Amino acid sequence: MADKEKRRSAAIPSGMSAGKAIKPDSDVEFLSQAGVGDLLRGALLKMVEARSDDPIGFLADHFCNLASVTDSSPAGCGEDEQMNGAGACAQEQQHLNRALWHLRLAHHSQRSAFSNNVRVAYDLLNVSGCQRQAAEVPDGPDGSCSDDPIGAGEAGGGGVRGGLYTQTLQCLCSEGGVPASTSAPLLRRLHCQDHEVVPYDVFRHGVLTCAVFSDYIRQSQKLYAEVCCPHEGPATRALCLAVLGTLKEALETSAGCEPDCCINANNKAYACVESNVKAIRYLEASAKISPNQLAQAMDGARSRGPGGNMDAKEFENAAADLFITRVKVVF
Amino acid sequence: MNHSESVDCTVKPPVFLQIGDAKGDSARSGVCVVDDLATDINIEKITFKNYYTAYVTIRLLRRKAEKEGSAKWCTALRDLALMDNPHTEGGSQNYFSIHRRQMQVEPDHVESLRLILRQPSSAWRLFNLEEIRLFPHKEPAPEKEVSDWLSNLIVVKQPPDLEGLPDPQTVSSSIQQMWALTEVMQANRTTASIGRFDVDGCYDINLLSLT
Repeated sequence: MADKEKRRSAAIPSGMSAGKAIKPDSDVEFLSQAGVGDLLRGALLKMVEARSDDPIGFLADHFCNLASVTDSSPAGCGEDEQMNGAGACAQEQQHLNRALWHLRLAHHSQRSAFSNNVRVAYDLLNVSGCQRQAAEVPDGPDGSCSDDPIGAGEAGGGGVRGGLYTQTLQCLCSEGGVPASTSAPLLRRLHCQDHEVVPYDVFRHGVLTCAVFSDYIRQSQKLYAEVCCPHEGPATRALCLAVLGTLKEALETSAGCEPDCCINANNKAYACVESNVKAIRYLEASAKISPNQLAQAMDGARSRGPGGNMDAKEFENAAADLFITRVKVVF
Repeated sequence: MNHSESVDCTVKPPVFLQIGDAKGDSARSGVCVVDDLATDINIEKITFKNYYTAYVTIRLLRRKAEKEGSAKWCTALRDLALMDNPHTEGGSQNYFSIHRRQMQVEPDHVESLRLILRQPSSAWRLFNLEEIRLFPHKEPAPEKEVSDWLSNLIVVKQPPDLEGLPDPQTVSSSIQQMWALTEVMQANRTTASIGRFDVDGCYDINLLSLT
């Protein structure tokens, strides 16, 4: 902490560039020159968006992040040409950590907040030699880049490096509590080679899929615990298969409702029929996983199903498989 | 073409009209009568295969719905050109389909159909229509409404013995969450691509030549 304070005194805060010689007369003037209003406003906005359980920790993280941004930006641009492999790696790791921090802020169900965060994370990882973290600094670009970093996200950087994207997905899965062996098949479908460039849509889809997948695995673990009791031992194979079978049936029933099935947008009457058909399919699918249906399936499994037990790992893999087979492979 | 949809009809052999005893003049025309043995039908479309007929006129014997026994002939289509040039081959053996919308009158309650064929060219002495099929008009099936589905739900009786089984409510709730999460993932698919050209992970130049 002490060395950070020393370094901060050397860096000139952007608000005070011209007025170094003039001593501010009043408190108000001092605060406006330091640009504290914008800093705090940005922090409060982020906090409202994230709605974290630990406000103090969140604010501490936020300001730490900002500190590391303003620390590296004056020095970063000049050193690009002389940067050796280790330096570039370390900086990339820094970008990755910051991007992950942003992605953790909002749950994927908070759709607009999550999308914003994905955009910020993408811009962070989408560096093309110039420092592009200007999106984070509230006062505007501080480095030598003159073009608008948000607007030129794809035109300027061209995309995120495949290796970095794959690493992001791996970190998201492991932070979400998914064991590496379970997430491996998913990552095989989503990953990109190091030499490939990942556009924003693919990045967003990958990140969202991993976030949803971690929730899904947590639910499946909870489900296994429910299926186990009241025995308090490993669950019977028949019961597990029956329960997963109902989920599979429901997914297959609603499979016809995918948004990319052909709808003639010119024909409104047909579009109405299509949405009716979709609604009916969703209702049919949900009826298959109603408590009554499940009770019947479980009752039937008890008498008819295969023998033996299924442990937690096998159940988790089977559930993961249902999800992963429906993930579209990146092409 | 769905053959099972067409109505069975008896086609009488074509009758070639002649003026007096002269043969080989332009007034020679073929009259083909298609009789429908069923009671009146509403025609959706008529399909046939041409055999060197230049023009066809369709006449319908329609029964008025309210009056039994009185039927009137009317012209549904006059001189539809099947061949661009009666002397040449164009269109001479084409398949045609005439929809009810193309007809000048509504082809409903049709008892009998008369096709008048004309071939003014002396190049083609024999001409006919083959494979004549009539398709009845069907009311469009009513759209399946959500309310229909709901009224078809059957109330399931509670299975008698839930002893030793996990609580269906909690299990169902977890499964519903998992189903919803999978649907969210599927709904957010992207059509964007990286633009790969590899075949099974391999960029071997020999493979590229096969695609």
